[in-house]
Amino acid sequence: MHNVRKITDDLYWVGSDENRLALFENIHPLPEGVSYNAYLLLDEKTVLFDTVDWAVARQYLENVEHVLDGRDLDYLVINHMEPDHAACFEEVLLRYPKAQVYCTNKAYLLMGQFGFNLDNTKLIEVQEGDTLKTGKHEFLFIEAPMVHWPEAMVTLDVTNGFLFSADAFGSFGTLDGRLFDDEVDFEKEYLDYARRYLTNIVGKYGPHVQALLKKASGVELKMLLPLHGPVWRTNLGYIVDKYVKWSTYTPEEDGVLIIYGSMYGSSENAARSLARRLVERGVTNLKLYDVSKTHESYLIAEAFKYSHMVLVAPTYNLNLYPPMENFLQHMKLLNLQNRTIGLISNGSWAPTSGRIMREIIDEMKNMTILDEEVELVSSMSERDDEAMDALADSIKKSFEKQEKTA
Amino acid sequence: MLYATTEQHEKLREKVRAFAEEKVKPLAFMLDQGNEFPKEIVKELGELGLMGIYFPKKYGGAGLDMISYAIAVEELSRVDAGVGVILSAHTSLGCNPIYDFGTEEQKLKYLVPMAKGEKLGAFGLTEENAGSDAGGTETVAVLQGDHYILNGNKIFITNGGEADTYIVFAVTTPGIGTRGISAFIVEKGWKGFEFGEHYDKLGIRSSETRELLFNDVRVPKENLLGKEGEGFKIAMQTLDGGRIGIASQALGIAQGAFEAALEYAKDREQFGMPIGAQQIIGFKLADMDTKVSASRLLVYKAAALKTAGERYGKEAAMAKMYASEAAIYVANEALQIHGGNGYLKGMEVERFYRDAKITTIYEGTNEIMRVVIAANLLGPISRTTKPQTKRAPGGTTGYRKKIIFKDGTPEEQVDALVAALEADGYDFTVGIPIDTPVGKAERLVSAGQGIGAKENMKLIEKVAKNVGAAISSSRPVAETLKYLPLDRYVGMSGQSFKGNLYIAAGISGAGQHLKGLKEASTIVAINNNPNAKIFKNADYGIVGDLQEILPLLAKRLDTGEKKPAPPMIKLKRKEPKQPKQIWQLYVCNGCGFEYNPGVGDMENDIVPGTKYEELPEEWTCPECGEEKTAFIEV
Repeated sequence: MHNVRKITDDLYWVGSDENRLALFENIHPLPEGVSYNAYLLLDEKTVLFDTVDWAVARQYLENVEHVLDGRDLDYLVINHMEPDHAACFEEVLLRYPKAQVYCTNKAYLLMGQFGFNLDNTKLIEVQEGDTLKTGKHEFLFIEAPMVHWPEAMVTLDVTNGFLFSADAFGSFGTLDGRLFDDEVDFEKEYLDYARRYLTNIVGKYGPHVQALLKKASGVELKMLLPLHGPVWRTNLGYIVDKYVKWSTYTPEEDGVLIIYGSMYGSSENAARSLARRLVERGVTNLKLYDVSKTHESYLIAEAFKYSHMVLVAPTYNLNLYPPMENFLQHMKLLNLQNRTIGLISNGSWAPTSGRIMREIIDEMKNMTILDEEVELVSSMSERDDEAMDALADSIKKSFEKQEKTA
Repeated sequence: MLYATTEQHEKLREKVRAFAEEKVKPLAFMLDQGNEFPKEIVKELGELGLMGIYFPKKYGGAGLDMISYAIAVEELSRVDAGVGVILSAHTSLGCNPIYDFGTEEQKLKYLVPMAKGEKLGAFGLTEENAGSDAGGTETVAVLQGDHYILNGNKIFITNGGEADTYIVFAVTTPGIGTRGISAFIVEKGWKGFEFGEHYDKLGIRSSETRELLFNDVRVPKENLLGKEGEGFKIAMQTLDGGRIGIASQALGIAQGAFEAALEYAKDREQFGMPIGAQQIIGFKLADMDTKVSASRLLVYKAAALKTAGERYGKEAAMAKMYASEAAIYVANEALQIHGGNGYLKGMEVERFYRDAKITTIYEGTNEIMRVVIAANLLGPISRTTKPQTKRAPGGTTGYRKKIIFKDGTPEEQVDALVAALEADGYDFTVGIPIDTPVGKAERLVSAGQGIGAKENMKLIEKVAKNVGAAISSSRPVAETLKYLPLDRYVGMSGQSFKGNLYIAAGISGAGQHLKGLKEASTIVAINNNPNAKIFKNADYGIVGDLQEILPLLAKRLDTGEKKPAPPMIKLKRKEPKQPKQIWQLYVCNGCGFEYNPGVGDMENDIVPGTKYEELPEEWTCPECGEEKTAFIEV
């Protein structure tokens, strides 16, 4: 049975929620589910914006058929070729064989590589600045390389300021019947989902997101229609501001993210002791995570959110505790910058974890490691009191410094 | 050139040889013994037109070719290699960079009098931490208005002190390695430009070699040689040419040693015949002459290429490498043929033997010559492996703040020092006993030879008491002067200081002493010599007389009886923060690959330091093959 939402008199949401997928990209846990959005316009010509993952193809095809209500499909726009969106375009073309496909040259090349076949008589390759008139509406194609693949583009309806924004402004989380930002409590329900989605999927490509935001800054946008999550029609500035922060690697909040690895609880003890010392100094905005128990994608999102990070880790086989090493390497890969970092290292006979954490962070950009590193020998004791206090003081002081310069 | 020199070349050889035999030879032993620079001889070289042999006449030169120059250096070195290198350093290193890179004004002002022999030239590149690797250059030049302010030291400078005009290399843009180095023309006599002591060398003792010391030397902007950042290129090109001079010097030494040995082998009789009649001596002479001839061919070939305006870097390196190794071989065998007689002072071969060694070392060691030759053969692949080890920035003691309190009166300087120490967390109301073992002391006040007479140790004790420190010293103060017992000196062979505060009073900062201070949290230097090495290895410093500064410091910290110090807490040293990213990064629209000019793209022959704009148009993304134009600025 079809399940669609009307956006305007001639534009419909024809996507679907998906709640059976355990891991997005087979990496990131997805307990909140995800929506695959697609949109269908009924102008003099009919235009379908993107398709969906194969998992929800039946729902989608039913939706499209219902909205078309007997009309044929004229155009299919593929903004993003990643299989979670483009996987069923062949099926669409089988059902609507007269439809022509609008996409970039790179998208077309990728289709071939993925084994999707598009008869090139149906292909209309577009470049930055090309337009498509469908009757009342006119569309402008804007290239959006590396947001989050090189072939990506976004499509702007120049007649009403609607932006079909591909992966940009998207979010994890099913929609559950709601569609617009004013129908949900975004900050409460979706902000964490959106952050985890953006930072893990597109985090590395901050400069490319900024380039797209710059292109869009000249246009008066009325609606943002992403491929995942709620559609923005009310508070567009809110999500754009978040994107500016994430893509420039600017912290959202002054706060401390404490991430610890601990085999037998000694390093955890130090992490909790530091948390207590921070709270006693008035630093109450903090979060504590066990690196072995929390999936990396959550830690990455939190790292993008907070201004400070304290890493607590033991030495393992003369190296850094592997879950911590994985996290740090992933964070480096995602290009996180501009954070203040405190280190607590632990080791019993040949401690190396502090040095290795420092080396990895040193390879990142614009990271400040506080001088007051704590080096534990097996477990924390009175002799470490002074150093632990010094680290807490230093974190507190760095907040004050930040306020002064702000 | 067809394996022979021209008649004109040989006429010049006769002229120089006559001069060397008549004027230089009689003095050579005395110059060597006395470590003496032959001012008169240098003047006469100018009068003979030998000080600018291959420069055009309009710039004061003789308008001859490079082989003529090689012959002149060879013939002088055949008699006295010290005199040979005076000419080589002057011509190749002093004059040549101005000829190649100078403006017309610079050529007229500096090159003309040098090429005429009225002024002597020298070249200042080598530093304590920048020998074969010029990237370690620490001398800096900062542009202020119309002048560059030059600070730093150059070591082992041939003609240093005697020369009038110096080509000096200094960092104008820090942090980008050799691309941040620039060259300057600096005149002797400018304020703040001083010289160290004449080195006491193994050989070439008639050539003057000194340290150059620059202390806020104001170099007019128009004395920048070439453009900013071209210094490394200028230095390398200059040294390429200089190698022809050193190769000629080595050739001359070998020729001189060979001739002496040949003469001796004919003259000296043993077993009833000249020793030369012994096959073993004959074979030695055969090998020696072969090597001398081979050297000569290599040297003249490199010189001919340079005259012809062709690439000669590889050939110059080959000539320098081969001729210098031949010189050592030939001088050694020549001395051997002379037997015990050759081992005596006053014998030419004894001097040749000592003089030869330098030629495998300077103007690029022979190890570096092989690097140059290999790089010419292999191209960029020979530069792909970058050494990963990096010395701690700064001196032997690792990173130090190097803050010198210069402003105001000595009282104000001491106040500023104490304020800085207190800000670092030092509490001067507590102290440790003055006789705390060096290895256990949290603070030390340490005396160097600058302390002078023994009664001045009272001053050290007083300062130590008020600082709350124990006392110690440098090695000579304990070992030679015996002011303190041997277990109280700090250094590699003595005690290591593991505490927090080390105040070095009158300590110049010998390497072995500094090694004992690596773990000190804070080093304070007080010394009257602003160029003392200790300042480069200290966090804080005051330049001044101990007799004046120490009483002020004692007075400033006089807080009465000190409370016993709590157990030591090791203060963390402040490591320098990561330098700000100075490269403009670009990312690829095709894959997100980040182009970092600091790293370059060696696989595609793009050397580190190549800016995005400087990438060749045909360069493509090494990861996905996108065009250069598909990159966006970060």
